[in-house]
Amino acid sequence: MHVKAVGEGFIRPDIYEKVQGKAKYPDDIEMEGMLYAGVKRSTIPYGRVLKTNIDEIRQMEGVICVIDYTMIPGAKCHGVILKDIPILVQDIVKRVGDCILLIVAKDKVSLKKALDQVEVEYDVYQGVFTIEDALKEGAPILGDKSNILYDIKVKTGDIEAGFKEADYIAENCYHTQMTDHAFLQTETAVAHYDDEGVLTVHVATQYPHYDREEVARCLNIQEDEVKIINETIGGAFGGREDINPQCHAALATFITKKPVKVVYSREESTISRSKRHPMEMFYKTGVKKDGKLCALKVRIYGDTGAYASWGMNVLRKAAIHATGPYVIPNVDIEAKAVYTNNPYCGAMRGFGAAQVPLAYESQMDILAEKLTMHPLKFRYMNAFDVGSQTATGQKLKSSIGIKKCIEKIADVNQMEL
Amino acid sequence: MKRKGIGYASIFYGTGYGNGFPDESRATAELTKEGQIIISVGVSEVGQGGLSVMEQIAVETLKIKKDLIKLQYNNTSKMRDSGTAAASRQTYNTGNAVLDACRKLKDNMNKVKTNKNLENLYVQMKDCNIDTKTEGYFKATTSEVDLETGQGAPYWPYTFGVQKATVEVDDETGKVDIIEVTSAFDAGKIVNPITAQGQIIGGSTMGIGYAIMEEVNLNQGDIQNKNFSDYIIPTSKDIPKYHTYFIEDVEETGPYGAKGLGEPAMLPMAPAIINAIYDAIGVRIYEYPATCDRILLAIKNKNK
Amino acid sequence: MIINGKSYTKKIDPLLRLIDFIRDEAKLKGTKEGCGEGECGACTVIIDGRAVNSCLVLAASVNGKEITTIEGVSQGKLHPIQEAFIEVGAVQCGYCTPGMILSTKALLDKNIDATEEEIKESISGNLCRCTGYQIMIEGIKKAQDKLKKR
Repeated sequence: MHVKAVGEGFIRPDIYEKVQGKAKYPDDIEMEGMLYAGVKRSTIPYGRVLKTNIDEIRQMEGVICVIDYTMIPGAKCHGVILKDIPILVQDIVKRVGDCILLIVAKDKVSLKKALDQVEVEYDVYQGVFTIEDALKEGAPILGDKSNILYDIKVKTGDIEAGFKEADYIAENCYHTQMTDHAFLQTETAVAHYDDEGVLTVHVATQYPHYDREEVARCLNIQEDEVKIINETIGGAFGGREDINPQCHAALATFITKKPVKVVYSREESTISRSKRHPMEMFYKTGVKKDGKLCALKVRIYGDTGAYASWGMNVLRKAAIHATGPYVIPNVDIEAKAVYTNNPYCGAMRGFGAAQVPLAYESQMDILAEKLTMHPLKFRYMNAFDVGSQTATGQKLKSSIGIKKCIEKIADVNQMEL
Repeated sequence: MKRKGIGYASIFYGTGYGNGFPDESRATAELTKEGQIIISVGVSEVGQGGLSVMEQIAVETLKIKKDLIKLQYNNTSKMRDSGTAAASRQTYNTGNAVLDACRKLKDNMNKVKTNKNLENLYVQMKDCNIDTKTEGYFKATTSEVDLETGQGAPYWPYTFGVQKATVEVDDETGKVDIIEVTSAFDAGKIVNPITAQGQIIGGSTMGIGYAIMEEVNLNQGDIQNKNFSDYIIPTSKDIPKYHTYFIEDVEETGPYGAKGLGEPAMLPMAPAIINAIYDAIGVRIYEYPATCDRILLAIKNKNK
Repeated sequence: MIINGKSYTKKIDPLLRLIDFIRDEAKLKGTKEGCGEGECGACTVIIDGRAVNSCLVLAASVNGKEITTIEGVSQGKLHPIQEAFIEVGAVQCGYCTPGMILSTKALLDKNIDATEEEIKESISGNLCRCTGYQIMIEGIKKAQDKLKKR
């Protein structure tokens, strides 16, 4: 039987329900006797929680229970690599938006009233909000022993000899900003016990098996006692990799034995999740008169915020991609992820390889102008090919289509390379 | 006055977790007694079209009509762990696991000679003690880099992209309009050209936001713009005319030669815009986003 | 009020938003909330022929009016706008899709010959983070052709 599928424009299977509004996102789930839960988040970036009016909140009408960190049966923190993000804080708050109390109420209105009534008394500490301040001597230490979460170097060839060979050098500083995934469906989770007594969490996530692991750790139960149902996902872009409402909904169900829904408002959604790393990038690039790149020196600092998340992987990816898709024989790159009391940064589409193109592609145009060479041609003559070696010493074996891509762009513009 | 400019940018992107981290995907393929094929795989459909990719790889491998294949993809008690829908890794990694499971099932199905339907095939396979459920597995090959020298083979495979952006910059208001964008990407064999084009256009539009609009504003770590009224993302009025081309330089280790595409799709847009702004008004912007204010300030500094 | 031709009579909190009435009282879950302040358009419904953000409207204020939600667009079979969206692949995560389809319907019900600029204008209140809009616009043009042929 002849069946052709790969390379064909199949109609995606999820589209029929989506155009009819029938696709089920987590907030579309309702259950008999379902309770609503939400968290009170810190309003200060750094400090110690001295006390809360938890007892007063517990007496409020419609409030079923108020959960603090002492009531978590298992792990108190989660994290994709380091387990450092508090599910509910014990005492230290490191960013605006850290979770302090989890309130479970009989309906949305009671929940909102209760959250509005929570009072938290803090001992406010002086935080750090820039990379520069975080690296100063005497800065408060937010990480394990320092404010440097990660430090990687990529070195090949002889950087000094490389710049000596250069006929033109471009040296500039670039900056990229913090951005948000801004997907449209805010984080929502519904937890309940299924007919077989398995704690089930309905959520929209990029990695259901990871969520299962974190929920089981938090509740101190086996992974097979937890089930994650990945409902329709309203966009992600890296913003649904870290845990957000999953553990809270599960914890509320674990304690009350009732179905519980946690829904974020847009504002809470923005505060709660990771962000794209802002980066400072210092670039010095050298080229010979014939147009061949000969040396590259790069220093990158990424503001990783209050928690690790994917910070080390993001800065590693930035360092490894800092050359752009070009052969450069002499390279000296260093990249650091630096803790601050800003929102924590992690995965977002491009993951460190999205920031560095501002620098390396601006440098390419600046040098092309110095060489009076067409920018596309300049890229073409330096681009990777099969057999090229990257700055990490990796030999590129197959499927290196960058030159063909440049040829295509030149071709549709009727340009000679 | 509105001035036109053209800018180019090229990027590469190593897909997968990388750095020697166990980057594994699992899937199963099962022929049921009802004559259906169930592909059980933990692919998260975040909108990218992952379900369609897995379905198409299964159809191509099993040579069985799409409506006989059912994906089981959203329940951790019923599906294998296929890792994150991230790092542009689902098509390459999880696609390979689905391919592996389907090839094994197809081999098993071929052990029985029948011209009859799948229900009969199931009965015959059971009679002959042939497995009707097969396991697929894939692990990407990368190595950990040295922290002092960065030497190693941190990612595989790499995806490439080049874009040309045509913009208009109003040198009195600083406003940038993106007029036309031409893209050429090498993501190996394209499994589904419709969803792949969707990634390029969607990613490029996110790149426009990155280049000229978006920024989380902080005051002492506190986000000032928490909603769409002041965190501005592109609307239908901000997009150019897009032209998209795929260079299908097949990757031998990819499923039918495919590589990842989701993230690289957004990468060249923003620097191409920055380069086009320079071409238009002779002013270089070193900082995203290139807002009207930043452009006007840069013009002012240049004219000093 | 009348939603998709069905009449609803209920005593409600005067501050209840229309989106909450639609989702929680009428149990029509196709209308989505994205921002709660009228910026994203995910909650778009049609009220007396006009596309409106249902998060900005009080349910009590639309007493007696006719409301169309995504569930009322396909009646027995898919609407040509929905067919066109499927054919061109105008959907990714799908969260903006119901609102986008309703904004499109409100436009094409009034102006079947809307130009590309008019299309872009009329869906500019519907944010989409995934698709980059172009394929949606192609879908809307295809829907215009389909509707004209009917």
